Amino acid sequence: MTGPTNQYLAELRAALAGMTITEREEIVEEIRAHIEERSTSSGMPIEEVLRRLGPAAGLARDYNNGALVRRASRSRSPWFLLRATYHWAWTGIHGLVIFFMAFIGYAMGAALIVSAFLKPLFPENIGFWIGPDGAVFGMPSGRQGGRELLGPWYTQVAILLGLAFLIATTMAVRALLPKLKRSHRLARANTENAVPMA
Amino acid sequence: MAVVMTLALGRNYGLGILRVLEENSSLVLSEGTIYPILNRLRQDGLVDSAWVESELGHPRRYYVLTAKGRERAVEMANTWLQLAAGLERLARPVLGRKDDNHDGSH
Repeated sequence: MTGPTNQYLAELRAALAGMTITEREEIVEEIRAHIEERSTSSGMPIEEVLRRLGPAAGLARDYNNGALVRRASRSRSPWFLLRATYHWAWTGIHGLVIFFMAFIGYAMGAALIVSAFLKPLFPENIGFWIGPDGAVFGMPSGRQGGRELLGPWYTQVAILLGLAFLIATTMAVRALLPKLKRSHRLARANTENAVPMA
Repeated sequence: MAVVMTLALGRNYGLGILRVLEENSSLVLSEGTIYPILNRLRQDGLVDSAWVESELGHPRRYYVLTAKGRERAVEMANTWLQLAAGLERLARPVLGRKDDNHDGSH
């Protein structure tokens, strides 16, 4: 193995650090076999073989994105799903929109549940208010007048609504992430004058 | 889809799949793209893989469709043929009209 090949494989190995050792080494071995065969069977210079493979970081990103989406589409953890959407937010406008949707959905759900537990501590400040400025759910700031509708039922309603936000956001993210991955792959294939391959 | 179709012809390895696609179709594929795709297909249970020593002295990772992968290949082939037939029905009159125009100009 030549210096450039070893350097390429070392970069690839480092960029796949999030995977298990078995997964990572299998990937590295497969790429090593590809480089060896490309250069020995066709006499192609190593630099050209590596150029055709693309940067090690980009190759690792494709592997990592696939693994992240796969784990995310099976996960129900809001934290994990939010991390996955954050990762994809950098890949394009669709990823960014899904990240913001997830962030807002989880933030609303969490805020409603927190406000439900704060209601007994601040009964006069937290509730569902109807007044001259319209309806406000939660803790109105600098608000004068208005009528609170739910009273002690606010806690139950806010918890249910908060859970509904968390569940709906989780379901939406789990459904959208695989589609995002497909559209990203298609866009990448088109950019490289290639076709969808899977 | 092209990778699954290639593996439907028989077991193959990454570079071999690229060569089949280059020789049998006009598809130009990025070499770095195929391995993450094969990895995903394996994770989805559509292909199995095994390392085999090659005649060149280094191992190759061969991929073969699983039963689920073969089912998916049939589904993909049917979908593609239906799509292609639909497009052909739309495209044929366009060619016919072009021929008519040529005939009319002479």
